[in-house]
Parts: sequence; structure tokens; C-alpha cells
Amino acid sequence: MLAPDVCSAVGEELSRAVGAENISDDAAQLQSCSFDYSVVTGTCPDFIAYPHNKAEVREIVRIANEHHVALVPVSSGPPRFHGDTLPSRGGIVVDFSRMRRILKLDAVSRCAMIEPGVTYGDLVPALEREGMRLNAPLAPRANKSVLTSCLEREATLIPKYQYDYMDPLLTVEVIYGSGEEFRTGSASGPGSPETLKADKVNPWGPGAIDYYRLLSAAQGSMGIVTWAVVRTEVLPTVRKLYFIPLENPQQMCAPLDALLRKRVVDECLALDNTNLATLLAEDPSRDFAALKAALPPWTVLACVAGYQRRPAERVAIQEKYLTDICRDLGLRAQTTLPGAGGLEEEVLRLVSGPWNKEPYWKLRRSDRCHEIFFLAPLSKAGYFVELMRELVAQSRCPELDYGAYVQPLVQGRGAHCSFLLPCDSASESEAEAVRGLFLSASQALAKKGAFFSRPYGPWADLAYRDYSDGAAMLKTLKQIFDPNGILNPGKLCF
Amino acid sequence: MLPLKDLRHTMESCNHCGQCKWVLGPKTKGYDYAEICPIHQRFGFDAYSGQGLLNIAEEILDGELEYESGLVDLIYSCTTCGACDINCKSVRDMEVLETILALRARVVADGWGPMPAHQEAAGAVAAHHNIYGRAHEQRFDWLAPEVKLTKNCTTAYFAGCSAAYRYPQIAQDTAKILNAGGLEFTVLHAEEYCCGGPLWRTGQIAEARKVAEHNLAVLEKQGIDRVITSCAECFGAFRDFYPRLGPVNFRVMHITEVVQQLIAEQRLTLHHREDRKVTYHDPCLLGRLSEPYVPWNGEIQAFGRHEPPKQWRRGAQGVYDAPREVLQAIPGVEIVEMVRNEENSYCCGGGGGVAEAFPDFSQWTARERCREAGSTGAAAMVSCCPFCQSALEQALGAADGGMKYLDITRLIAEALG
Amino acid sequence: MSLPKQIYAELEQIVGAEYISDREYILAGLRHAMPSSPVKPLSPAAVLLPGTAEEVQQIVRVCNRHGLKFIPTVSSLIGFAYPTALNTIILQLKRMNRIVEINRTDRYAVIEPGVRHGQLRTELMKAGLSYPVAAVGPGGSVLVNFACSSGDNHNQHGASRTNRYILGVEWVLPSGEMVRLGSLANDAGWFCADGPGPSLRGLVKGYAGPFGGFGVITRIAIGLDEWRGPAELPTEGRSPDYKLRLSPDRHKVFIFKFPTLDRLRDAMIEIGKAEIGQAVLKYFNATAALLATQSANDFWELWESGLFQRELSRPLYVYLATHSAEETAYEEAVLREIVAETGGEEVDPAIRAIYENNMDFFILVGFLQRVLRLGGAWAPAKLSADSVHHMFEIGKAIPEFLEEFAAKRLIVDAPDNFQIISMEYGHLAHIELLFLWDRSMPAWGEIPMQVMARSHETEIRHGHHGSMPPRSMPMLGTLGPLYSNCHIWSEKIREAFGTGR
Repeated sequence: MLAPDVCSAVGEELSRAVGAENISDDAAQLQSCSFDYSVVTGTCPDFIAYPHNKAEVREIVRIANEHHVALVPVSSGPPRFHGDTLPSRGGIVVDFSRMRRILKLDAVSRCAMIEPGVTYGDLVPALEREGMRLNAPLAPRANKSVLTSCLEREATLIPKYQYDYMDPLLTVEVIYGSGEEFRTGSASGPGSPETLKADKVNPWGPGAIDYYRLLSAAQGSMGIVTWAVVRTEVLPTVRKLYFIPLENPQQMCAPLDALLRKRVVDECLALDNTNLATLLAEDPSRDFAALKAALPPWTVLACVAGYQRRPAERVAIQEKYLTDICRDLGLRAQTTLPGAGGLEEEVLRLVSGPWNKEPYWKLRRSDRCHEIFFLAPLSKAGYFVELMRELVAQSRCPELDYGAYVQPLVQGRGAHCSFLLPCDSASESEAEAVRGLFLSASQALAKKGAFFSRPYGPWADLAYRDYSDGAAMLKTLKQIFDPNGILNPGKLCF
Repeated sequence: MLPLKDLRHTMESCNHCGQCKWVLGPKTKGYDYAEICPIHQRFGFDAYSGQGLLNIAEEILDGELEYESGLVDLIYSCTTCGACDINCKSVRDMEVLETILALRARVVADGWGPMPAHQEAAGAVAAHHNIYGRAHEQRFDWLAPEVKLTKNCTTAYFAGCSAAYRYPQIAQDTAKILNAGGLEFTVLHAEEYCCGGPLWRTGQIAEARKVAEHNLAVLEKQGIDRVITSCAECFGAFRDFYPRLGPVNFRVMHITEVVQQLIAEQRLTLHHREDRKVTYHDPCLLGRLSEPYVPWNGEIQAFGRHEPPKQWRRGAQGVYDAPREVLQAIPGVEIVEMVRNEENSYCCGGGGGVAEAFPDFSQWTARERCREAGSTGAAAMVSCCPFCQSALEQALGAADGGMKYLDITRLIAEALG
Repeated sequence: MSLPKQIYAELEQIVGAEYISDREYILAGLRHAMPSSPVKPLSPAAVLLPGTAEEVQQIVRVCNRHGLKFIPTVSSLIGFAYPTALNTIILQLKRMNRIVEINRTDRYAVIEPGVRHGQLRTELMKAGLSYPVAAVGPGGSVLVNFACSSGDNHNQHGASRTNRYILGVEWVLPSGEMVRLGSLANDAGWFCADGPGPSLRGLVKGYAGPFGGFGVITRIAIGLDEWRGPAELPTEGRSPDYKLRLSPDRHKVFIFKFPTLDRLRDAMIEIGKAEIGQAVLKYFNATAALLATQSANDFWELWESGLFQRELSRPLYVYLATHSAEETAYEEAVLREIVAETGGEEVDPAIRAIYENNMDFFILVGFLQRVLRLGGAWAPAKLSADSVHHMFEIGKAIPEFLEEFAAKRLIVDAPDNFQIISMEYGHLAHIELLFLWDRSMPAWGEIPMQVMARSHETEIRHGHHGSMPPRSMPMLGTLGPLYSNCHIWSEKIREAFGTGR
């Protein structure tokens, strides 16, 4: 908490900067910013500020520097899961819900320019109207900030559109912690954003540094992004979803790898029956168990698509590749969902846009959850799934019905592995056991080569404990971009 | 002979692109055997390469680089195999090997070259007309009584020093083959002097010219219109060096070209079968460096225009097919190619005076070539140059890997039955 | 200027006597930069051939102790490989030439700096794998090309620029410390470049690389794509007239000409949206003529015939590489539909045959150095990327500044000698303008500076992002403020970490 005199001065200055109606010091609201579904312990901020434009953001950063007050940027609505938006020492939560403009949709250059408050619920339908779509995560909540998701390198559904882990983020405008403004890639210049005619779709540079990478997975600790240009794709005119049932997770690598080598499929992922049932159950409390039992242990979802030209021909060729690949591997690709026929359209919807129901799907089976996620080579995903099974079996909650999800990334050269651990807060001992599993399994997985590339909360220790040289470099960069350390202190290695 | 200053365009044009060090892309077959320049592969510094030698030549020409023994060693460590030249010429209009040879001539003219071993060879040639210092009267000891020579014939077999003194079997086999094919020929007997190639390639131009002019005069006097060689070094000298001295009024054919022709005309039948898998080593002077020298005295104008147009020797017209066709005509012979073959052939280490001046490096190069030959699974390495034979046989002997070296004339002679 | 004996001895102790030299005749091989540069570079004080990353670390520490600058290089093709200050040593990393690993399952290769394109690309074919080879010739270092220099390539429509393919990185910092980036940081293997947390990979390379000016990258992993051709290149013929044809069922080349750049642009955009094609580009026409001929005289004969100006001033090259004849037929049908809609026509069949007969243009680009053949000089004035649309806007403005130079006969009259290469199915594109001038002209060294200055003026006037990065420090100082003050940020980073040179 800020000292009263500082608090008062900051409050006044914030009021001048964004308007009194756009700051909040309401205790309940402040309190709501101090916790989420993660294991991270937060503190109450002193203010929430709702800037409307870049000038206001810049002014907030100036105020924070002047008074050495922490700023915690928050772009998405609740529920939040990673602890990255929890203030570690009070300060100002900068809430971007008022910066929610879609600045440009460009169907020719296939991109969208968005402010941080633009959500999947906003962008996906807007893009569809323009004949475009976004390579998005699996069923993101509708109030999730697209910009944050991209900036945080969240896993997305269509590996063929990922050339590296930064996609689909292209360029950004950022106010660094120092208060200085910068634009990355081809947004950098020449001239101002108004005079620059470039479409701002080249993410690299300017010069010999990929500045946008330095901002990625930073949890807002390097700078505050005021807009971003993200890559969009042509909306298919024909789509056909295939299901490849698997008996065990070790089977998933071969078909996924073969499909992605040939770039046959668009959306492409593997879900275990727990997660798939969680996503598909009409009423989880009623339908989940039966649905799970009916589904194969694992299902690969693979979507083939045709676009604007000769779509049926394209789909036919891709289907042939898909079925040939599966046949050669002794697998069967089918258009009906094994064990749950009739839900195919629902699955297609799930991989096509945000989650619009309540509660968010990750909270459908319990009122809390912990999610372990990391990166691995696709070939090792099956191994980690098995390892997690052993870790759960050895834990204090061996019967935990956790869900597993493997998302191939970057054209199949990597994979996002996720384990969703449901956790009912009604039982303190169960909550404690799951929390313990979350922590111990994370450690064990990391020890075996799971790469916690986005080290939220306690994972920071896993990532940086034995990486002192890299941590030192990050601290040097932090010193350059945020010399007073005002941006989201206490996160990562900062 | 072009003086160094006439090659300034080449020196100034080099972009350090590295093509003089690497097999051209489309001919590359993998990680191994992709390097083409022995000195660069062995010593690593850029100075040890076609590019480096161009840079050195330019600094010497401009008086920016002082002589020292290490520099002279470097210049003479190059085997002048011309791999740099041909690979460079695949993409550029430059004369890399010409520059290296001109640099050597300049080093000699400046009193810093050649190496003692090369001086010794020149002395031997001056005294005995052969590079080994052996008695001139022994030069035709190889000539067995059964060899049928034709008097007043316009075709001459030029054995060369190496076959005459070191590898008489080659000369004997060659004569046997020619007789078997019914091709009339003669030899120059005591009038055959060293071809001059080894002297020319070590920068000893005056000494080389002397013996070459002698040979030219003899050939002219005897009315020879076709010279057959079994030595790539001699072949290269006749094709590339002699035309620089004046008009050459005879054709030069390598024995493999002759045999190819005899087989085509059904004058020679190779019937004795022996099953063996062989790999063929293209000698540089029979392959990429064997295109006839074409004088060009013109001006290099803006943007590289050569006026009058220059006929470039880019290595495509070397003798590559004849030895292969002849080998294929031998019953039981299976040819397996090395990665670096034809115009991309890797040096045996025996040329350019390196075997004499730097025997260790020469053998390093030969071993690298033998390593490649061994990778083909062949039982024997076949070639048709006594200088290659000397280097490669020694390396194979030291390696003790079971692979044999065979001159192509031996295989042909054996196949005659 | 030679190194003091004691420093030489320290360095010699690290690499061994065989791999260090300060002899003038050895250094002579490293002080003749590009013919296009009027400035002869300074001589390095010594050259070293380290064999391991540990040796590199030790050398860097010695440099830091004694105030020496160092430049890591491999093939030294580009001007950045040459010293601009006294007391600079060159580390030629050729001996660090191991392919550490080819991982067929996870599709990556771990390489050291000395591995060349010709070696790796052909070695990977045996494993059915590939990567986009930037047009630097087969002797170019793969690592340098991926991590340290530019990295545009003919195949980046179906693939991408090489910077996209960087995975794990092992990097000796200017301080001499070794840092491992991406998944390698946490002993999780080589598969990922970014993380943990903010991606330090961003310091390794941006649009271009640091050209050896930021420590020494000693190993990288690069991502690999599937190779759709044979295990070995089916090259026929001999230098310089190679033929390299791939199966027409799966590999096809088309070249179309368009009446306007706008139509050509529209075709490129539509092809991207259809997600067909491996390579899609508007190629240089004078460069094409250079690549298609075997000597400068041949070039001039061809160029003066006007054929390439007539046929290739607005060409669209399309290379289809597919998995089956059916897919090829599909892609060709879509392609022809788009070309018909946008008003394209096939060029003279003789020109198409050049590329059908030598598909190396889409593999190793082994003839690239022919562009240097005029023996004059060349330079790129544009070098940047953004949308296809924006790149064509830049292309259309080229005559505004280039024509005066051609009119004065300072450069070859080839205003269409620029390329626009579609990238990542047309999501973006790269532009490069090559102009050729003659070193026999008086004050020839000023020509490229003047062309580049006028090019920049045009870009600023139009708001065109046509030259990123500004290619020299003085330019960066002047132009940096127009590029979001990037010069200030890059300088801050250089100051914080040091550079080595």
C-alpha cells in the first residue's frame, strides 16, 4: 500500500490524467484484483485506472515513475489463472477495458490492428464479417484480451500458420517503463504511424533486434502495449473435421507429425476424454461421466479446409492425404466423433471461436482449477502425458480426474502440453492436495525436460534458478526499458 | 605468358564469395566431400585459397606485401589443381589459376622462388632433359623390342618423364594398346625432352619454354600432326602451355581418347573379363584444365565487357567421358563415382610441385582423396596420370585399406588378354 | 599492425600455433572486401581459427582484458566481416563445422558456424528434410545466414525467412559468458527459441542480424521442413552448364508477365490467400539475365536484345512443389485461374525453360554469384519487408529516384531490377532493389551513397518502409529518429552488453 500522501498525490494526478470517473479506489474492486485462480498470492492495488488512449497511458507511466508506484497492466476480464496480473506490492492496476477499439481490419494484407482491450468475443465475429479468422487458442474465454494472448505466446490451434512461437503477433506500439514510446517491426517508420503507409505486418526489427520478442511473455513487465497488429487468415468456405481415436497418448505423435509435415490440416490438436467431455458436456454435472466413458481415451481433432478458390477440390486432396496417413499408421480418421456421434458441429464450434458460456470451460467441473502447461517437442508429448499420469498416481490425490491437452505448435516442431487439475475449494484438504500436486508435478516435469517457457508464478523459480546468466541478461534489459522497475514488479526474475 | 599486371581485373573482381573453396551447389552430395581446395581445407586461413592467392597477388603487384619465406611457402603449397578456377568460372569471368601461375612467375622473377626442390628439377631438366636427373639415354629403356613403331609416322606417342623413368609399365601398356588397335605411331627417342609442364607450373617460365620449344621444334621437324600422351601432366602442358609459345600444328590426344575411338571403330576389343568395382579419379590436367589455351589480347571494358569477346575455358570440355567409356567397355568393370568428380575432382596432391616441395601436405591431400575413394566401396582407384599415381599409391600404401591404384592403361592392357 | 607478443602468446595458448597468425601474407586474405566498396578495409591484427565454443570464450576474454576488438566470421562474403578499427582480430569459425545433430523426428538440425549451405541442404535431403536456403551461394555459412545476417530466400512464400527457423541458440556474449537461449536454457532440448519469459532470442537477430557485431553465436538449431524432392540432386551436365530437373509431377515452374505492377501484385496476393505455391516472386530482370548467361559479354548480348526487359519487367515466378500429381494439378488450376483474372500471360517459353531445366534457382541458388559477374559493383538500395501491397507501392516509386542515375549513365539502365518475394503465403513480402554501377567511373564510390540517399528521401516522402534496417551507423544516426528512435534503443543495448567490435 502506498503511503497516504503518495496515494493522495497519485490519485489526484491519475484523475487529471484519465478523468476521475476512470479511476477506482473502491475497496471491493481493489480487492478483486488481489487474487485469481493461481497459486500466486497478490496484494491489493491502490488504484485501478482505465485509460482510453495512448496519451493517457503515457501519463499513467509518467505518474508511476515520478512516485515510484507499481503498474500492473490488465487487459482481460476474469477469471484469471496465472497470477500475472496480481500486484505484488500494490500500486495501480491499469485496466484496458476502455481501450477496446479494433483499429483496422485488412482482408487484403490479412491483419487486424487492435487495442489491448479487444477480446476474442469482439474480434472473432468482426473478422468473420470480413472473411477472416484468427489463429486462436482453444476455446478462449470471450472476455480474454487478444493482444495479451498473443503477447504472452499462448498456444494456438492451427500449427501450419505458426512459423515461430511469436505468431500471430506482428507489430506493437509500446510505452516502455521509462515512459518512452516505441514501435516495432515495420511499424517503426519512417515517420509517425499516421504518415507511415506500411501495413505494419513485418514483425522483425527495426534493425538487428526483435524488440517484440523482448516484450513477449513478459507479463507486462517491460512495457505497456497500446496497440498491436495481429495476423489473420482467410476464413475457410468449406471445413471438414476429422476425429482420430487413440488408445493411448503415445500414438498421437505419428499422425500429428505426418499431417503437419505435409501441412495437410488446419486446426489440429489432441484431447483426452476428460478434457473433451468437459468441453462437450451439455451439463457437466449430469453428462460428463457418461460422455467421458463413451469417448476414446484420446482423440485427435484435425480439420481440413478449403478457402476461396476450388475449396472442394482442396478439401478432397487434403482428405486423401489425411486418410492415407492414418491408414498407413493403422489408425482411422472419421468424420463422426467416436462415442459421441452428433456432437461434431459442437466440436467444430469449439475450435472456431471463443467460449461464450458460463462458467468458463476450465471451471465447469470444479470451482477452481490449476493448469500445468509447458512446451516440448511433439515427439515427447506422449512421454509427458504418461509421466503426468504417474505423478498424479503417486500424489496425494491419485484419483484426480485431470484433463490433458496436447496442442502441436510451429508446424509440428513443438507442442504445448496442458494438464488441467480441477480443484474443489469446498474441500480444503483436496484443494491443498491438488495445489501440492501442481507444484510438485511442475517441478518433476521440468526436471524431465518440460520447458516452462511462460514461467508464471512459482514456475519462475523453475525457469531461472539454474539460468542465472539468462536472468542477468533479462535484468539488464529490464533496467533499460523500465529503469525504475515500476512495471509489474515481482514477476519472472524481476 | 600473361604478366601479373594483366590479371588485375581478376584480382579486383573477387568478392570473397567462397566459390573457389567449395564444390558448386548442384554437384554437392552432402556434408562430406564438399570442399574443393586442398590448401584451404588443410590450413584453413583464407590466404590459403584461390581467393587468398588473388589477394596476395594484388598486394605483391602493388608493392604492399613484402616477401618472406612463409609467403613463398604458401604460394608454393598450392597444387595448382585449378579446382578454384573452374568453380569460380562457373559463376564469374575471372582467371584465378592464371593469376596463381603468374604470381609464381613473378615470385621467380623477383628472386624469391621457386622452392629448392623445383630448382633442382629445373637443373635436372637442363642437364638431363628430365625432372628426375636420370640419364637421358635411359629415357627409352621402357621401349621393349616387341613394340611396333612405324617410321615416318605422323602420330607420336610422348611418354613423358614420369612414365619413362618411374612408371615404365604405363608406357609399355600404352604401346601395347596402340599396337593392338593397329594404330601406327612413333616415338621421339632421344629428342623427347621433358614436356616442361612441371617447370611452367612452378613459375620457371624460361626453363619451361626452353624444353617446350625443343619439343615443338622436333615435332615440327618430324612432321608430327598427332601427339598421344598417357600422362595428364604432359597432356595439360601440350594443351595449355605450348599454345602460349606460338602456333601448335598438332593435335594432342590422351590414350583414353585414342582407345575410345579405337573401340568405336571396332579396331580394339576388350574381351578379358575381370570383375571389379573401381572408382575413377579425374586428373586435373586431363579433366578441368585440359581445354586448349586460346590466346586473348583485348580490353576489359566497363561492366566486364571483354572486347573482343573472350573464349572462356570453364572446364566443361575436359577429357571426362573417354576414360569412363573405356572403363565401361572393359568386361566386369563397374564404376562407382566419387562425389568430387569430373570438373569438381579433388586434387591428388601430386601436382604443382607440391609433392617435391611439401611432401607431407601432398600426402595429406592424397589421403583425403583416398578417403573419398574408399567411401565409394570400390576395390581400386583408377586414373591415368603418373603424378596422381605417385601421390595416391603412396597414400593408399600408408593407409593399408586394401584399395589398389591402377593406371587405366593397365586395365586396358589386361583386358586385351 | 601486429599484436604485442604477450597477447599473441595468450591467444596462441588457446587455439594452438597452427590456428593463429599475424603474418601479413595471411592477413592479406582478409583485407580485400567487396569490389563494390571504395574503401579498403583495415588490416586485422591477427586471425584465429578457434575449434570450440570454449576457445571462443577464452579468446573473447583475452580481447576484453587487452582492449582488442573481435569480429567473428566464416566466409567473409559481406563487408561487415572486415575491421573498421585498429586492434581488431578476426575469428574465422570455419573449424567449428560440425553438424551436431539432425533430428528427423522433431525436424531440427543443430549446427556450428562452419557448416555451409551446400553441405547441410544436401545432407538433409537424405533425411527427407529441408530448409529455405538464402541466396548467398552454397559456400555461405548456414548459421551466419540464419542468425547473423539477412535471410531472405526464393522459397519464403511456402516457407519463410531464415530468422523464423532459429530454435535453440548457444551464444558467447561480448563479455565472454556463454548463454543458452530458448528451451536450451532449461536443458529442455533445442526445439524452441523463445523463453523462458521475455525472449532473449530478440537480441540475436531482428530483421537483419548483428553481422558479427554482438558476441559470437557458436551453435544454433534450425527448424526443418519436409523436402519434397529426391534424396540426391539429379544434377546433369558440367560446369557451368548444369541441368537440374525435378519430377514434373510434383515440381513445376511458371513465369507470367503482367501489364501493370498492380495486376502483378493482385495475383501475388490471391495466390497467397489460396495457399498454393512454394515460391512466388517478382524477380529482378537484369539479375535474371546475369544468372541465365555465362559471361558478361553473353549478358550484354542478351540485355541489349531487350528480351528480358520486354518479358521480365513485371514477371511473376511461381514454383509449385507438392506431394502428388493431383495436388500439382489443383495448384496449377488455381494458379491459372488467378493469372487469367489478373491479366497475366506466359512469358517466352525459352525463358521458362531456363528455370525448368535448372530448378536449382529454388534449391541452392548455386549460380547466385553470377550477379557479381559484371566485375563492376552492385548494392541493394531497398531491403525490407511488409505487406505485399506495401512492397509494390515501394516498387512503383523506384523510378522516381533511380531514373536520374540511369539517365546520367551512372548505373545500368534497369529500373525493374528489383525483386518482391512473397512470404508466408503472402502474409508479407520482401523487397530488394539491386543497382549496378561501374568502378571505372570517376568518383564511383559515391554512386551507391547517392542512390541510397535518394532512395531514403523517396521513402520518407511517401511513408514507405523500404529500407530496414538503415545500413550504417551514420545513416542510423540520421534516420533513427524517423524509425521510432531505434538507434537509441539499439545503442542502449550495445552499451549494456558490449559488442565485441
